[in-house]
Amino acid sequence: MGWKRGWRRKLTFLFMPCVSSCFSAAEEEQQAQSKKGLKKQQKEAEKAAKKAEKQAKVAAEQQSAEEDDFAKDRYGVSALVQSQQKLDRTLVRVQDLTPEKADQLIWLRARVHTSRAKGKQCFLVLRQQQFNVQALVAVGDRASKQMVKFAANITKESIVDVEAMVRKVEQKIESCTQQDVELHVEKIFVISQAEARLPLQLEDAVRPDGEGEEEGRATVNQDTRLDNRVIDLRTTTSQAVFRLQSGVCQLFRDTLTKKGFVEIQTPKIISVFRAEDSNTHRHLTEFVGLDIEMAFNYHYHEVIESITDTMVQIFKGLRDNFQTEIQTVNKQFPSEPFKFLEPTLRLEYTEGVAMLREAGVEMGDEDDLSTPNEKLLGRLVKEKYDTDFYVLDKYPLAVRPFYTMPDPHNPKYSNSYDMFMRGEEILSGAQRVHDAQLLTERAQHHQIDLEKIKSYIDSFRYGAPPHAGGGIGLERVCMLYLGLHNVRQTSMFPRDPKRLTP
Amino acid sequence: MALRELSSLEKYLGLKKPNKYSTQGDKKVPVLQNNQGPPLVGLITIACHLVKEAKRSDLLGESAESRAVVQQWLEYRVTRLDGCTKEDSKSILKELNIHLQDNVYLAGNHFTLADTLMYYGIHPLIVDLTVQEKEQYLNVARWFDHIQHVPRLRHHLPPVAVLRNRIYTGRHH
Repeated sequence: MGWKRGWRRKLTFLFMPCVSSCFSAAEEEQQAQSKKGLKKQQKEAEKAAKKAEKQAKVAAEQQSAEEDDFAKDRYGVSALVQSQQKLDRTLVRVQDLTPEKADQLIWLRARVHTSRAKGKQCFLVLRQQQFNVQALVAVGDRASKQMVKFAANITKESIVDVEAMVRKVEQKIESCTQQDVELHVEKIFVISQAEARLPLQLEDAVRPDGEGEEEGRATVNQDTRLDNRVIDLRTTTSQAVFRLQSGVCQLFRDTLTKKGFVEIQTPKIISVFRAEDSNTHRHLTEFVGLDIEMAFNYHYHEVIESITDTMVQIFKGLRDNFQTEIQTVNKQFPSEPFKFLEPTLRLEYTEGVAMLREAGVEMGDEDDLSTPNEKLLGRLVKEKYDTDFYVLDKYPLAVRPFYTMPDPHNPKYSNSYDMFMRGEEILSGAQRVHDAQLLTERAQHHQIDLEKIKSYIDSFRYGAPPHAGGGIGLERVCMLYLGLHNVRQTSMFPRDPKRLTP
Repeated sequence: MALRELSSLEKYLGLKKPNKYSTQGDKKVPVLQNNQGPPLVGLITIACHLVKEAKRSDLLGESAESRAVVQQWLEYRVTRLDGCTKEDSKSILKELNIHLQDNVYLAGNHFTLADTLMYYGIHPLIVDLTVQEKEQYLNVARWFDHIQHVPRLRHHLPPVAVLRNRIYTGRHH
């Protein structure tokens, strides 16, 4: 049984009673005590000797370590970056590490995704957002044993500065995004250290739930991820989701700008209030976030077409420019690709009700659609028309807000519409009542206090054009396009009644 | 409930004179007074009697084997299906679904009394299934839709909508 470093050998004492028939009891006791005392002294002396030996050994090792470490200036934990100096040093992006850079000596800053020692070598995976690359610290003329050991002990998620030679590899490194090169590290410094115990492991956080169950590996549930959002946001999946969301926003802006819309910032107003005072069709629009209001000439379908066209441009933009992100998300959250028709499918509410009734749903003509029925209808529409995006037009008047324009031919219905992606509502809109008199009547019908909406009604007294619009939830569009189920997945720091931090 | 079933069965069989039934016990087991002997007690007993009366013995099975299978399903109806709990109903549907994977009718390739009485008995379960569940028990839904369309069979029961196409592809959604 040898010594294990750092462990104290447990000494078990077996007290053997002294057996003798010749001595008296008291004397026996005395004898036993002195024997005990002797034994104790002996053991203590042994212990002290061993301790001294060990201390001498460690000291000798340390000395030799310092003496032999020729690379001690090429690694270590850097002092806190407090902007002490301006280094004129180019840091290469991981995504730019390609065979073109072979045999170049470069600096980069990245996170340690994993580090694994294997004998005289240490393999690291260095990560920057959605890109990662393999790096190698090997005992040789550039790196010492101590440096390799240091590299292997760098905690995951720590940020490091690395100077390395870029080398082409014979066999593709399948597990990294940069598959054709690897880094041979000459210097490695820790810039910002991560604690050893992370609340969640990134590899677990991207593992699909099914795979976790099958292989008995850990997955991370949503609550844990949201509690530790700063780490969760580093996963490839999260990165992809938010890039896509940014894409949606940008495509939305670009498409509307091309159509001649003007973006205006207005303060957040809770009740319905749109101040419109312009004569020009199509240049009278306002949107806050993803809200659209548009004047039209003769029929509100002009507005529906404008909105659906914008959505289709967004879908195409995502499909054509964000395939990498979509595939990344699908690795963890598999789903069918998003399908849409051109021109966009528009069904009338009565048709939708008929389809639901055919499937066994019982509902009245003027009933609103419950969320389960919306989802069922989405599936029926998908099965019949093969589209994940459609408009449901002419909702019953009774279930819409007071400012909705009634249908001119049938007072039970209205010029209002909802749009759905994968069976879930993304937009609710309508032609708005733009006549003060009619608006007053509608408000009275809904028993709304006219005083409270006086300024809103007044704004229609000075020649308001016919207009329609709708509001879209950006996070919902992104979520449904990807086929995700929970809007919290597409919300950076989601808030709800149970969640106030982080 | 059993009385209505027997009345519907009589209509299906084309029996001209409807019988007068009484019931016994708290479970309201149907009883049919017989001029020729002791009264017939029990849904299955009476149903089989009606079938023979209508000279439709084919509905009890065409071969020895199918006759045995028919009797098994008739027994299943009163012992397993009637009065089953919510959990039981799931396992019944599962069992039936497996059985109906390779069988057009309960007793193989021919319509029998087993189909009729199982249809009557399982109707309340099927009525409460969602579209998704009906797709989950696809074979049961197919069989059910087939039986409920048999001419003159349905009578006292409302039709249940069964979709022809799958709308839940079985993937995550």
